[in-house]
Amino acid sequence: MALLEIEHLTEFFGGLRAVSDFNIRLEHGEIVGLIGPNGAGKTTVFNVITGVYRPTQGTIVFDGQSIVGKKTHQITQLGIARTFQTIRLFSQSSVIDNIKIAYHFRMPYGNMDSFLHTRKYWEGERMVDDYAIDLLRIFHLDQQADNVSGSLPYGAQRRLEIARALATKPKLLILDEPAAGMNPAEADELMTMIRWLRDQFDLTILLIEHQMRVVMGVCERIKVMDFGETICEGVPEYVRNDPRVCEAYLGKGA
Amino acid sequence: MRFLRSHRTLATILVFVLAYVVIKVLSTVPLVGGQPLMNRYYVQLLALVGINIVMTVSLGMVNGFTGQFSIGHAGFMAVGAYTSALITTVWLHVGTSNPWVGYPVFVLAIIAGGVVAAGAGYLVGAPSLRLKGDYLAIVTLSANELIRTVIRVTPVLGGPRGLGGIPRFTNLEVIFVFTIVSVVLMRNYVFSSHGRSMKAVRDSEIAAEASGINTTQQKVLVFVFSAFFAGISGGVFAHLLQFIHPDNFSFVKSLEYLIYLYVGGSMSLSGAIVGPAIFTLLPELLRNLQQWRLVVYPLVLILTMIFRTEGIMGLKEFSFILIPQRQQKGADA
Repeated sequence: MALLEIEHLTEFFGGLRAVSDFNIRLEHGEIVGLIGPNGAGKTTVFNVITGVYRPTQGTIVFDGQSIVGKKTHQITQLGIARTFQTIRLFSQSSVIDNIKIAYHFRMPYGNMDSFLHTRKYWEGERMVDDYAIDLLRIFHLDQQADNVSGSLPYGAQRRLEIARALATKPKLLILDEPAAGMNPAEADELMTMIRWLRDQFDLTILLIEHQMRVVMGVCERIKVMDFGETICEGVPEYVRNDPRVCEAYLGKGA
Repeated sequence: MRFLRSHRTLATILVFVLAYVVIKVLSTVPLVGGQPLMNRYYVQLLALVGINIVMTVSLGMVNGFTGQFSIGHAGFMAVGAYTSALITTVWLHVGTSNPWVGYPVFVLAIIAGGVVAAGAGYLVGAPSLRLKGDYLAIVTLSANELIRTVIRVTPVLGGPRGLGGIPRFTNLEVIFVFTIVSVVLMRNYVFSSHGRSMKAVRDSEIAAEASGINTTQQKVLVFVFSAFFAGISGGVFAHLLQFIHPDNFSFVKSLEYLIYLYVGGSMSLSGAIVGPAIFTLLPELLRNLQQWRLVVYPLVLILTMIFRTEGIMGLKEFSFILIPQRQQKGADA
């Protein structure tokens, strides 16, 4: 059974059709890319999957249950985590607190334990400390654990955002332009990391990316969108040589 | 016991006990010409510092740590003040003459005041916190005036004449216990997973939702807790002044707490303690300046806004506020 199955997804903003009849099936363990020129509707698809927008039409089934109409935090708790096109860290919190915040909905203590700092509170805090520092170590951020996250360099902020998404223990990770603003060396490192994360955390990954090198290098399957429509789908070699894709990106030849 | 586990906590407790003993001695033992050094007026001033600290810290939970903008905090104080006074004065007629009956009733009455204020907080917060933006400010402002107006036209609460004859249950001990317990409880909450979620909502609500936090629920909860502590403060306030009037809890009063908070530093508990302490004591220290006192007040505010936009404390905390954090297990590995 597919992990995520979207059928006939259509999203209107007033009279504008941002996404039309979008279909996708993500099998467990796949890395799939979603590409297309600016304004093609890629981020809208992400926002619909994560419950920011409600789809005008269509079904979204994740892990056997429909997630249409669910709130963003409920969808995250079901196992879909995301990063953002522009980094959205909790910039005034420390690096380690960013991770702990993503663990909040699993925290075994309640409001009264927070007020009274009961035994349960201390146990929970000790557990989340260990969990967060272990996760930060994987991303080489443990040395900066107590720094304010807004003061980290750009690349580290990108890594922290992915680490924070992983702290919710997702089954599906969706990355919105993870390589934005990265130089080729950093992008290479990112590609290695994405594959490694998939294996290590048993993830399925869906990503939007503009750097073709990254998309072609890491994705097993690519879907191309233009003006809300899916224009091409297939393995990287196929997509690369499709004339419709070239046309969408570069315009019609004379 | 858990809270005594570090020497710093022990030292903090000792300092507070010492402060209490010194103030108690100064206010009871006759030193100068048969009069104690600290007369009743100074004790009352100190009590107001305590009440204002709890009000400001509870406001800071919403405005500073959760990043919402509530501007009607005095309304919840009024709910607590009138509820507790209604119980002790109008219904049960308890007095200070028999403390064994009086104090349990008083404690239950102020807690009841807090609970009713929390209920009012839920009614105000639940619909308006679902929305983003400035709606909360508008709704809290109206709720503040609404509460005041309802009290004005309710005969059993004294109406526009105010409610007098309230027994003076609030003494030095009550103030110490009330202030310290309230601030410690709110401090604990801020330094917990819920407190981290509050700050997450402040920094980026979208990212907080995407991290699995039910932001609406968290905002409403904080608002309700904040209203609870404002209600308790109101109860203590009523049993200090012995007379309450609806106009004591007008929008101007709410504005005062906003000023205390933002001058002290809205994103720091220490700031929410320093701000009200300065503004309650400063006018007394400047007594010799007579009417020029009122110039100093806004001047402090203007200077803070120019030179320290994040308030006096900024993001810093006094060390006794902080919770002993993670032992550096493996951080250096």
